[in-house]
Amino acid sequence: MSNRGIRNLFIFGSLFFFAIFVALTVDTMKKVDKRVPEITEEVDAGKKLWHKYDCIGCHTILGNGSYFAPDLTKITVNKPEGYLEKFLVNPRKVKPSAAMPVLGITPDEAKKLVAFLDWVSKVDTNGWPPKPVLAKYSMPQVPGVTVYEKYNCKACHMISGVGGTSGPDLTHVASRRSDPEWHKQHIRDPQSVVPDSAMPPFPQMSEEELNQLVDYLITLK
Amino acid sequence: MKYESQKIAQNFYTFAVVLFLVQVLVGIIAALQFIWPDFFPLKFNIIRDLHINALVVWLLMGLMGATYYVVPEESQSELWSIPLAKFQFWATVVAITAVVLGYIWMGFDPQANKYIAGTLLLNEGREYIEAPRWADWLIALSVILFLINNFMTMYKSKRWTGIQGTLLGGLTFLALMYLPGMFYTKSMVKDQYWWWWVIHLWVEGAWEVIAGALLAFMLMKVTNVERHVVERWMYVEVALVLFTGILGTGHHYYWIGTPEYWLWVGGIFSALEPIPLLVMVWDAFRTTRTHRVVSNRLGLFYATSHAIFNFVGAGLWGVIHTLPQVNKWTHGTQITTAHGHLAFYGAYVLLVMSMIYITLPLIRGAENFNTSRGYRSFWWMTISMIFIVLTLTGAGMVQTYMERLVGLDYVTVKANYNLWFWIFRAIFGLGFLYGVTLFVIDFFKLGREPVEAVATEPSETTV
Repeated sequence: MSNRGIRNLFIFGSLFFFAIFVALTVDTMKKVDKRVPEITEEVDAGKKLWHKYDCIGCHTILGNGSYFAPDLTKITVNKPEGYLEKFLVNPRKVKPSAAMPVLGITPDEAKKLVAFLDWVSKVDTNGWPPKPVLAKYSMPQVPGVTVYEKYNCKACHMISGVGGTSGPDLTHVASRRSDPEWHKQHIRDPQSVVPDSAMPPFPQMSEEELNQLVDYLITLK
Repeated sequence: MKYESQKIAQNFYTFAVVLFLVQVLVGIIAALQFIWPDFFPLKFNIIRDLHINALVVWLLMGLMGATYYVVPEESQSELWSIPLAKFQFWATVVAITAVVLGYIWMGFDPQANKYIAGTLLLNEGREYIEAPRWADWLIALSVILFLINNFMTMYKSKRWTGIQGTLLGGLTFLALMYLPGMFYTKSMVKDQYWWWWVIHLWVEGAWEVIAGALLAFMLMKVTNVERHVVERWMYVEVALVLFTGILGTGHHYYWIGTPEYWLWVGGIFSALEPIPLLVMVWDAFRTTRTHRVVSNRLGLFYATSHAIFNFVGAGLWGVIHTLPQVNKWTHGTQITTAHGHLAFYGAYVLLVMSMIYITLPLIRGAENFNTSRGYRSFWWMTISMIFIVLTLTGAGMVQTYMERLVGLDYVTVKANYNLWFWIFRAIFGLGFLYGVTLFVIDFFKLGREPVEAVATEPSETTV
């Protein structure tokens, strides 16, 4: 083929592929609104704050962005209600080991940011991020662990390296607190035994579940 | 150098080289922040914004300088307007400096980044295109002036060569693909959708087209290969780049809320994306082997290295995590960081450096120059970058396993299990900085040192 022929193939071939790309884009734009929740004014205000504070300079969202701090796609699912609102205003007051600086986010702005992040957590992402398939092998098969999983304690607490860091590490919790009654009281109403606790109360936990969970916790020495 | 106006390339190169040094200096600060988050007054986000924006801007400046060199030579005429080129250069320098000062200001006072008339004053808070909207317009204006100047040069001379046509086509595509980043969308899904138009169609579209054109120019410049041969392979390369790269954008649309068919489109086309990069490697080797009259061996060395590391960094390190089945686990981990570093280094850092080593000696009238610093700089940078990429790949594998498969917390993996990777990355970063420093010294001294004092290579060598 002559150079001219290859050049024409390059030009028209590229235009052809670009045309397909544009057609797919039009189709995607039509479908994408059905895969996300409604965008309220609060969500939009939250998104504007997301940009204002350059959150993507440290975090990823939907897996894209910086790789310095946790991905925030499902953050509202994994934190107890009210936690993020407090955290955003002054991270180290809620979690002393936090690396995030105080950016001057007001309580009202924090609410909007959480509304935005909650919106993102409900986007249909084709199943991303995937569930950790090996997690179940790292826990003993006792009833307390089932309760621990059911109430998503691992969102904030860690046992043997698995779990979150918002709350204290529970790997050796029984060495610090061996009294089952203290644990029961603490789970039912955290503030009654630890006044500044950020942990939410669990009145919805049945008596049996509470006993199973505490039986497990006091084995963690 | 045949035309006086080609000298304008030097202004752009100088600004590019200075920003390169800045980019690597702030990169080392960022690397240390992975170990000690609080050690520097500016937080990580600002340092990273500076790191990636300096990268984009210095590469653009380098490509603009290279174009100002190539177009007069290919058109066989002086540039249409030197004052316009100078104006465009200084206007860009002023705009970029203002943007950088804005980032630093925001680093000390996050509240200074206010919404004014619906757009942010200092930082748009979108990765890679953080520059605020007012700066977007100035950058767009600068690129338009640049395109007009080069287009008029070609238009007046009526010599349409394949190389400069492809180069200008790539640059026009680059300018157009800046526009999808210049509007606000309420939906974060659409925001990321259009954002990838800019980022992906730049680095895996327009920029690779420019790289193809410049590679052809360089091979022709330093060997005695015939024009019609390099141009033919150039067309094959850039055609394959766009045939695979445009729909390859789909690999960014797997998990951001876009329809499921992107898993197929992205998976298939992005798996093909390394092919044109492999053709470029083959092209460079074939030309070197069959055309043994080499006028600038250091330049050819850099150009061939660019082709190789373009393939390894953008091609291989990309294809390992581009299939949806793999990407589901690796998306958003340090594997992406590893790929990003090697791809930008191979595809564009070495491209601009090879253009500098091929054209700068001619601009300065120094066909004989000391090449030893150029080689040393290459090895310091390349070996350091390989180890940076290996540490990041290791960190990414540990992160993928522990966080994504076992369910460990992000912070735990980063702070405990990956700590040694961060330490080694920072050490190799210093090695890279040493290589860049050698290059910067070489850039300013090239052709300005007394030739007797240095060991010179024969200018025309038959291997």
